[in-house]
Amino acid sequence: MIQRIVSRKFDIPDAHRIDVALLHGGYATLSKAFAMEPDAITTEIERSGLRGKGGGGAPTGKKWRLMPKTISPSYLVVNADESEPGTFKDRQILQYDPHLLIEGIIVSAYAMGADHAYVYIRGEYKAFHDRLVEAVEEAYERGYLGENIRNSGFNLSLSVHRGAGAYICGEKSALLESLEGKRGHPRLKPAKPECEWYFGHPATVNNVETIATVPFIVQEGFEAYRAYGTDQSPGTMLFAMSGHISRPGVYELPFGLRMMEVIDELGGGVKNGKKLKAVIPGGASTPVLTAEEAEKATLDYETLSAMGSGLGTGGMIIMDEESCMVKALHNLLSFYRHESCGQCTPCREGTGWVDTLIRHILAGRGDETHIQTLLDVSKTMNGQTICVFAPAVSGVINAFVKKFRPEFEHYFQRSEG
Amino acid sequence: MNNVTITVNAQTLSAPEGSILLQVLLDNGVSVPHFCYHEALGVDGNCRMCMVEIEGQKRPQIACNTRVKEGMSIRTLSDSIMAVKRSILELELINHPVDCPICDQAGECSLQNYYMEVGLYESRIDRADKVRKAKKVDLGSHVILDQERCVLCARCTRFTENIIGTGDLVIANRGNHACVTTFEPQGLKADGYAMNVVDLCPVGALTSGDFRFHQRVWFLKSDPSLCHGCARGCSIFIDHYPQKYGDDLIYRYRPRVEREVNGFFICDEGRLSYKNHTGDATLTTPRYSGTAITLSEALELYHQKLAASGSGVVALASPSLSCENLTALRDYCLQYAIPLFGVERGSFDETFGDDFLRLNDRAANRSALPLLGISEDESEMNAALCAASLVLNFDNQTPVSVDQIHFCVHPIDTRELQIPIAPYTEQSGSIINAFGKVQKFASTIRRRHPVPPLHELLSTIKGLA
Repeated sequence: MIQRIVSRKFDIPDAHRIDVALLHGGYATLSKAFAMEPDAITTEIERSGLRGKGGGGAPTGKKWRLMPKTISPSYLVVNADESEPGTFKDRQILQYDPHLLIEGIIVSAYAMGADHAYVYIRGEYKAFHDRLVEAVEEAYERGYLGENIRNSGFNLSLSVHRGAGAYICGEKSALLESLEGKRGHPRLKPAKPECEWYFGHPATVNNVETIATVPFIVQEGFEAYRAYGTDQSPGTMLFAMSGHISRPGVYELPFGLRMMEVIDELGGGVKNGKKLKAVIPGGASTPVLTAEEAEKATLDYETLSAMGSGLGTGGMIIMDEESCMVKALHNLLSFYRHESCGQCTPCREGTGWVDTLIRHILAGRGDETHIQTLLDVSKTMNGQTICVFAPAVSGVINAFVKKFRPEFEHYFQRSEG
Repeated sequence: MNNVTITVNAQTLSAPEGSILLQVLLDNGVSVPHFCYHEALGVDGNCRMCMVEIEGQKRPQIACNTRVKEGMSIRTLSDSIMAVKRSILELELINHPVDCPICDQAGECSLQNYYMEVGLYESRIDRADKVRKAKKVDLGSHVILDQERCVLCARCTRFTENIIGTGDLVIANRGNHACVTTFEPQGLKADGYAMNVVDLCPVGALTSGDFRFHQRVWFLKSDPSLCHGCARGCSIFIDHYPQKYGDDLIYRYRPRVEREVNGFFICDEGRLSYKNHTGDATLTTPRYSGTAITLSEALELYHQKLAASGSGVVALASPSLSCENLTALRDYCLQYAIPLFGVERGSFDETFGDDFLRLNDRAANRSALPLLGISEDESEMNAALCAASLVLNFDNQTPVSVDQIHFCVHPIDTRELQIPIAPYTEQSGSIINAFGKVQKFASTIRRRHPVPPLHELLSTIKGLA
């Protein structure tokens, strides 16, 4: 089941050092890439069907095409603000193969004509930040970054920027606001698709894993990438498993595998031989699946969206039969309450209110009206905000309440007895 | 821009293509609740209150971030959109303290108005669950912040950031703990425009330390006028309380929109200058030798002094007097061959002006002087003053060492003869600002015993001189 594209060098000791990386084919793509026209690389990426791996799954090549070529300088910003609960895939790249990321950045920046690249890294990822900075310094020393990279005539500078610990800064426009030195508030979306803007200059924001996949596609061709996965979800992805699972971890898998096959065979099944109750398929913000739904689920964008959930970041959270879904929802909602940026009213006030409601339910003070209010507020939060934070929370609430309503009702029976 | 036709609640409107839908609706008198959008501050899109239904769109859209297109069909009153507005308003209010009875904004509060318009639901939040924040933060510059009442529309922070450029106000913290605050310890200064945030604030979060708790707004009458604080002549509203048995009292000035002059704002100094024109701040009876006298006594003294001085009389006019007063004064001086000067020493303040609204020229009507042929020659004036034995001073602040007769708005600490003239708030007239714009103002303040404006006074004393 496991396919190694991004994770190829993960098991090689010291692959984060440039000498080791070079021995194992690091930066090998550059000579091929620099021999190609930048547009040809973008075309290759478009044909490969590569989709953004930060959770949205937007087509990467199409995003690169939005960069206007006439305004200089322009920027590639790599989103390493991996903060989605249940997601811990990008850190593996930063830890085990940072040079793959840098190689991907060079190729991608060359393709889209970016002059500067930033890696916006989650503040809490101090160790990974330090490792990446070391790798960047090595790359500068060896001439893989800076002026006239490997005599190609292409210049690229790369800066690593640490965030200050805000979940919302993983949203691309909030990330750019934060990178500009402002509060990390998402920006209003333009009426027509366009690139992002960094200090008024064109910018593209891509996830770490997306960029780390680029060298393989350029080196091996789009068909080699399309050999994995499904038609709509081609290639592979770093899937993470956590929660009540025997062998938690990150596994690189082609899209389209049956979820239960992955949980049972790679993950070793639910921990301690218990039964499965629910799976959150792709990070906390994707609506929860029941065990029956998990049976039918396959790990690709189209199947999971059709089930009313989503592939998200591919970070599966497995919950066994003893999990309390009310407490699980409370855990998530207190996270969202803490992380709402506070810009739009429905999200700022809504996340607080739903958290308060669930606390009342947990304390045995709840009744039917609390559940109704919870659903009403979640409805208001859906689709009426600048970014997708509040709609995600809304989806989470709806899934938990609708699929596990008896568990919520159990808490009010407690207060009567 | 081309004008296009849109339909709003079955009514047809014409609007420039690509303009902001919310502004078009507001300009056409369609009520759309909104907090964060303000014409001067632009679109921010954070309050989510201005939801409208647009035909062909799956979800309700915020009108502020929607651009007008040909054939758009908008609904603002359907049951479904009212339900959406109600649900957003409910969220605006869940952490609001609902302390309207002790809130100074009551009566001119968007939350109150919108609740009456689209709310009217039963509260579903337990008071104990509301988030507590600071209730009284003195931000400086007479601005008091109540963080609990704040709807975080960011108008005030956008004002200091985008209009003034000082960025004194910021929003700190996240989620429902977010609050407006300042960078300690400098507080809110906003280069002397700070109190505009009080007008911008749609709710009771930012109130004026100068005005709060002095008068309920529903007792106030608002009348348009012009600030006389500098040569710009900003449009203002004078909010005053018509007492039944006493003189009108002015409680505050507020900016009035006048795109060609001051836009949406006024400076703090102009705003607080109402204090010079209300209650006991102005002179209402003639005074001589430190005691009040009647007007006829005063005029008699005037004539005696005038007769005693012979040809040694010089007149000084304030360049802030209205065109009507200056004209009457010029004619009076011509008739009795009194040299008249419109120079006022100290009326230029090099520290006052800036590149926004405030001008160094603190006189309201200097532009009228050359048009009326009133001399602005300072050396000539100095020479005339040296030779003078009596100066007729028409509200001019120039220091003079010879005997004077004052025709003044404010009481002066002198034993010389003072004859009151009405301030601009108590008479109608016109002034010409530094950019040559002629602006008219009407009398707004009524006194039980009105003080005559200068031109009326001059017409009564003309024949006696």
